[in-house]
Amino acid sequence: MSNGSDAADLSQDTFLRVLASSQRIADLQEPRAYLATVGKRLLTNFYKRRSLEQAYLDALMLLPEECVPSPEQRWLLLEALQALDELLDGLPVAVRRAFLWSQLEGLGYAEIAERLQVSERTIKRYMAQAYEHCLLVEW
Amino acid sequence: MVTGSPPSAEARQVVRAAAQWLALMESGAASDRDRANLQHWRDSHPSHEHAWQKAQLLRQRFADLPSTLAMASLDRPQASRRKVLKRAVGAVALVPAAWLISRQLPVDVWRADLRTATGEGKKVQLADGSSLQLNTASAVDIDLQNRRLTLVEGEIALSVPGTSPLTVQTQFGQVVVSQGQVCVRQRQTGCRVSVLKGAVQLQPLRGPVFSLGAGQQVSLLAAGAGAVEPFDVLAPGWRDGVLMAQNQPLGDFLRELSSYRPGVLRWEPALESLRVTGSFRLEDTDRILSLLAASLPLEVHRRTRYWVTLLPRKNIA
Repeated sequence: MSNGSDAADLSQDTFLRVLASSQRIADLQEPRAYLATVGKRLLTNFYKRRSLEQAYLDALMLLPEECVPSPEQRWLLLEALQALDELLDGLPVAVRRAFLWSQLEGLGYAEIAERLQVSERTIKRYMAQAYEHCLLVEW
Repeated sequence: MVTGSPPSAEARQVVRAAAQWLALMESGAASDRDRANLQHWRDSHPSHEHAWQKAQLLRQRFADLPSTLAMASLDRPQASRRKVLKRAVGAVALVPAAWLISRQLPVDVWRADLRTATGEGKKVQLADGSSLQLNTASAVDIDLQNRRLTLVEGEIALSVPGTSPLTVQTQFGQVVVSQGQVCVRQRQTGCRVSVLKGAVQLQPLRGPVFSLGAGQQVSLLAAGAGAVEPFDVLAPGWRDGVLMAQNQPLGDFLRELSSYRPGVLRWEPALESLRVTGSFRLEDTDRILSLLAASLPLEVHRRTRYWVTLLPRKNIA
């Protein structure tokens, strides 16, 4: 952890998650183990967010100046991206990539199939899998 | 993530059907008959239509994003879960004492004007992997597109991993850092460059370009570069939140200390030549003053928190 306020944010986050969860703390058999598990998961998420931030920054730097969003927009965008990143978390890499190509770049199934060296039927299955995953996460 | 109760079996079925309809519609291979069947499915139960609408919202969220940025961020190389966790857990042990280092600024640092107030510090990770730390009352303009930082006032520590050189522009010349770690401190009369790791190239206002290695420091003045001097790279400093003094005249020490304290700090000339030795935590400068009073023949008089005078201690006994 590169600084203390990140650490404080994280432990705060841990307790908020616990408070927000449906499980009643009093019902927990092993509260300490439960907190450790939640904490570990949050830490993983934290590093995923960091790696997303980094990738986002790198991409911003490569944009021509006239395409760079305003500071406010940059924050909003980053938040939107983080939410989608969490939503896609857990999908197999190929499924995730196929889905992103379709949603963000508007590629057709045939083109995606060619890029990934699989059949179009497989791409259709990937898409259904990705939609199902995302819809279930937010159900 | 900790969420509420999992969706029911019925809900799962509806979601799966909606997902399959979407995949079919987007394949470009849907027939009129398929479209009619989809309409029928949507009309046959409110939960079907609800799922369909949610799916449309999801698509909209992706459609609203600028594709280049979104693709680069969401399709970044994925570290494996185990690796991420290992790094995460390893890093916990490294929580440093947070001095006056404020929160890292992740987004604006590809081009930004950073400033710290008196007594404040800042540490930022630049988008190219370099890291930059600002000492108290400092200002720096960052322009990574042109690989240039302009030190407006105060002091910075810059660490460049070696991907591409960064130039620090000061009023008294340029410092080019290809790979290494350097402190640059600018005052009204000159600028001091200290190399902690690696080597840097210096271009003073007058005189030839020269290079400076680890453990060396030099002052750049209006008339050109001064003499190169050795210094102790291992001695803790402001970057660690520490002010070090080794048999230092109290006057020099207090001038340094007052740059970390908002308000007025005065002392009687008689105190100027007392000697100070020690390492002091910058997080509490009031405490540093108390420590001085405990070890030297002086008294601290506080008119207000922001107006402090040091006086020679009266002989009591």
